[in-house]
Amino acid sequence: MGKNIISKEEVKKIAELSELEVSGEEEKFSELLSDTISYVEILNELDTSNTSETYQVTGLTNIFQKGSENTVTLTQEEALENADMEEKGLFVTDPVFDR
Amino acid sequence: MKELHKLTITEAIEGLKNADFSSVELVEACFKRIEQVDDDIKAFVTLTKDLALEKAKSADEGLKKKGVKVFEERPLLGIPYACKDNFSTKGIKTTASSNVLKEYIPPFESTVTRRLNEAGAILLGKTNMDAFAHGSSTETSDFFKTKNPWDLNKVPGGSSGGSAAAVASDMCIFAMGSETAGSVRGPASWCGTTGLKPSYGRVSRYGVVAMASSTDSPGPLTKSVDDAALVLSVIAGKDPLDATSSPERTSNYLSEIQKFNLKGLKIGKPKSYFDLDLEYGVRQRVEEACDVFEKLGAEIVGMELLSPKYSIAVYTILQRSEVSSNLARLDGIRYGNDRSNFGFEAKKRIMLGTYALSSGYYDAYYAKVQKVRTLVIDDFNKAFEKVDLLIAPSMPCVALDLGESEKSSMFGELMDVLTEPSSIAGICGISIPVGIADNMPVGAMLMANMHEEEKILGAAKVFQSSTDFHLERPNLK
Repeated sequence: MGKNIISKEEVKKIAELSELEVSGEEEKFSELLSDTISYVEILNELDTSNTSETYQVTGLTNIFQKGSENTVTLTQEEALENADMEEKGLFVTDPVFDR
Repeated sequence: MKELHKLTITEAIEGLKNADFSSVELVEACFKRIEQVDDDIKAFVTLTKDLALEKAKSADEGLKKKGVKVFEERPLLGIPYACKDNFSTKGIKTTASSNVLKEYIPPFESTVTRRLNEAGAILLGKTNMDAFAHGSSTETSDFFKTKNPWDLNKVPGGSSGGSAAAVASDMCIFAMGSETAGSVRGPASWCGTTGLKPSYGRVSRYGVVAMASSTDSPGPLTKSVDDAALVLSVIAGKDPLDATSSPERTSNYLSEIQKFNLKGLKIGKPKSYFDLDLEYGVRQRVEEACDVFEKLGAEIVGMELLSPKYSIAVYTILQRSEVSSNLARLDGIRYGNDRSNFGFEAKKRIMLGTYALSSGYYDAYYAKVQKVRTLVIDDFNKAFEKVDLLIAPSMPCVALDLGESEKSSMFGELMDVLTEPSSIAGICGISIPVGIADNMPVGAMLMANMHEEEKILGAAKVFQSSTDFHLERPNLK
């Protein structure tokens, strides 16, 4: 069921977008992801042509903090406690532009 | 008198008030129990014994100094609890049972644990879970598998499996879990404990390692409904640190439910839930529970609801999409290990979510399921015009053997079929023990509309007042 809806090539592409390493497991992921996505076809049994989306269930909108709230925040030291690498009080990240 | 580790919260508070025992003795009894049985059950990933004993000592001093009135301000003073390892605890390792966060020590406290600590509750340790809460068996933990106290060859359910197993084997007085869809009610059902999933937004998500942000709901696993009500009173309410937390009024749930009456209450029994492939014993026990509710004065009303099978599809897509977005932050730069540490289940979920949110597929999957979510909500709203509550089994079967979860690409979603509609709609639900089938506990679930926790807690309370199912315990050494 649902074989190859998501091909091995697409698995490679998705893995790249997700920054995940899947080499050697493309076939397995292709099967499992296709199997899962094919289950969604069941929703075609329902008419949603006049239905709008619900992205969140609270109905709350534009929730702002008052100035008096949440004045306590992490210190720079605390924020950096778990950093892989730090320099001059900043996180060191991988380069994002080609040199 | 009961052994101390076996007490409920309300019993333990009574004992502390009467000076029958101290908080130190209570905490020591729990650790003695942990030493006795946790080598077999493996519920805990981290223990905080020194800290717990220190806090117990100061709780005893506080009680001595201020007298029993101290419980008005600190309703959980001196009560030991276990906490799922996805709640950030300042200075205490918080791993979400994952290799990515294996050594992570948060510099801040989640709102739920902060409120519990301020109420005087004492953390015993952090419990095992499916890694990042991805699963319904606790087998996807990157560390080890937790066993079901009723049968060590079976899973406890998940993802809050460590918390459920810890409560069922009396290693703690109560435990905290969290539910995205079924992760409290499922393991509560499979381990024979009470498990409450509050309405979405009722309890703050601040500091909880996120799974699907639009349905994540922290909730307690307890030995009685009274205890669940008491814990909810402490953790519920608006939190400025979580913009989705509800400003709706909360109440003293424990005292509210003492006067609850089932007379005239209508409990809907949705045909589509009972039409699913349910195990014989599960169906029997839940039918019998319906009879008990009827005898106690409620009216059981057969009714039509959308089949939960649609919610499996809705939940799978929305959860995997939100997972892919939430776990994008884990890059090993600011905290945690890098992305090569993700386990198989996490990779699978991140990739499916990435696919569903991609340009060209978004409308077919993500937008489509959010439309069906609207249909599910409308369906519940119509149902609650006719009835006060809904009843169904919590899980389609009793706890499965270890290893069964690996046989399906959607194991968790298929197992949690009965809890998914209520989770995607954000309404509240509770699982309570209703008897034994095939030597394993069975849970029945009550659901009510948004912010109507009093109704499910009240009805469940009346049920537990006239039955003994919640008092059954596994035969451990």
